[in-house]
Amino acid sequence: MEEHGLTRTIDVVHDVLDKHIVDRNGREMGRVDGISVELRGGAPPRLAEVLIGASVLGSRVNAVVGRWVQGVEHGLGIGEERPVRIRFSHVDEIGDKVKVDLAVGETGSETLERRLRTWILKIPGSR
Amino acid sequence: MKKIFNLLLGVVTSIGGFVEAGSISTAAQGGAEFGFALLWAIAVATIILAMLAEMAGRGATVSKQSMAAAVRQRFGFHYQMIPLGAELIIDLLLLAAEIGGIAVAIRLLTGAGFQWWVLPIGLVVWLVLWFGNFTIIEDGVGLLGMITVSFIVAAWQLHPEPKAVATGFIPSIPDHDLTRYAFLTVSIVGATVSPYLLNFYSSGAIEEKWTEPDLWINRTTSYLGMGFGSIVSMGVLVTSAVVLGPLQIRVDSYEQAALMFVPAFGRWAVTLFACALGVGCFGAAIEITLNAGYVLSQSFGWPWGIDKARRDATRFCTAFTVVLLLSVLIAVVGFDPLQMTLISVALTVVIMPLVVLPFLVLMNDHQYVKQHKAGPLANGFLAALTIVGALMALVVIPLEIFGG
Repeated sequence: MEEHGLTRTIDVVHDVLDKHIVDRNGREMGRVDGISVELRGGAPPRLAEVLIGASVLGSRVNAVVGRWVQGVEHGLGIGEERPVRIRFSHVDEIGDKVKVDLAVGETGSETLERRLRTWILKIPGSR
Repeated sequence: MKKIFNLLLGVVTSIGGFVEAGSISTAAQGGAEFGFALLWAIAVATIILAMLAEMAGRGATVSKQSMAAAVRQRFGFHYQMIPLGAELIIDLLLLAAEIGGIAVAIRLLTGAGFQWWVLPIGLVVWLVLWFGNFTIIEDGVGLLGMITVSFIVAAWQLHPEPKAVATGFIPSIPDHDLTRYAFLTVSIVGATVSPYLLNFYSSGAIEEKWTEPDLWINRTTSYLGMGFGSIVSMGVLVTSAVVLGPLQIRVDSYEQAALMFVPAFGRWAVTLFACALGVGCFGAAIEITLNAGYVLSQSFGWPWGIDKARRDATRFCTAFTVVLLLSVLIAVVGFDPLQMTLISVALTVVIMPLVVLPFLVLMNDHQYVKQHKAGPLANGFLAALTIVGALMALVVIPLEIFGG
């Protein structure tokens, strides 16, 4: 990351991909598992979204692995909200972490965490 | 005053937590087959472990990021999945081996079959993790582990000849069974320098909220704790060398290893050995399970921490529970716990460069550790040793397995 006055050059792979994402209250949302780029006929391509989700990670390894993970997510009943897509316009800050101006609850990033919580709350001592 | 107390507690718990299935079985075999000749391997492995543990603690304290998290961020998922996958597989095997070790210890005490104990042991490990917090887990395990000091007591009571013991610290080439000697050297290193310990250490620094002024505590506990802890491992090797060596007993099972306590402790021998083995393995089982939860959560960016309410870190809790369940399954299926231990610790050495080399890059990265970088001597020493170790492991593991 280089700084020149007010503008900064950001290496998308080095400075954004795989970093922690936190919401506007500093709560963990996951990691930048992928980045999508919008191809616009005629105009230069544009960074579109930050993606969170195991299937995105899987597809980075191999398309088959990606589909397989997607299948597992569907099986767990969380497939519809995955991967979580956050428009780049919501990205507030790129530093040690990527900070977005949303709240965890407004995205699907906590779906699995919440689904597990309903089970875990039934176990004594889950506080 | 509180800092001094924490320091002492840290050293004591490191000593108590030093030996487990891997270190007890490799040191017992090494002593029985090669006398004191492999003491140097324990010493070298301890230096590597102490240096790495200190760095892991330092890196996490300064950057507030654990090792797994930092590796993903710096090297990306494409690279990280290799050490992550390897570490998880070894964690699973090692955890099964530790559970097996506890089950054997209970069998030694009660006489009842080993398989019966696997499920209840898994449940107890889970209960401790579910209801415990980091302090209770770390200090409790370490203090209970002080029973393993009985290995030092046993070695002391046998009055081994000091000169012969001292010679063991000089690396030498034996006049018989060279392959076996090389395999045991690799296994001793793998049993001592487990990758899970490094991430566990760095996560611990974050759980305990260490700050930069605490770095000296980190330095002192890693070197003193590991240094004294390794004396327990050496105690196992020396006791085994003095008692089992002359009788030509090769340690093929924990029952045989237990015999090493007979001259020192008489009729309490088996009970004491079983307690030391059981407690050592129990501590390691808890740490490995917890670490599996740490690595997975940190890699994927889930909320984690054993000090968090369970309901606030549900994926973390599920992750360690699933790993524990899988290991219990492996242990229940039935295998020889000692063989399982030896294979997993030898494999550990093979994956060591995958874990250590990127970690060294991080420890030289200003963004990660600021001015607290690793020195050139540490870089060179650790990089060279892990690469040589891995190459040696790649050669001797097939020889050991297929050579009979």
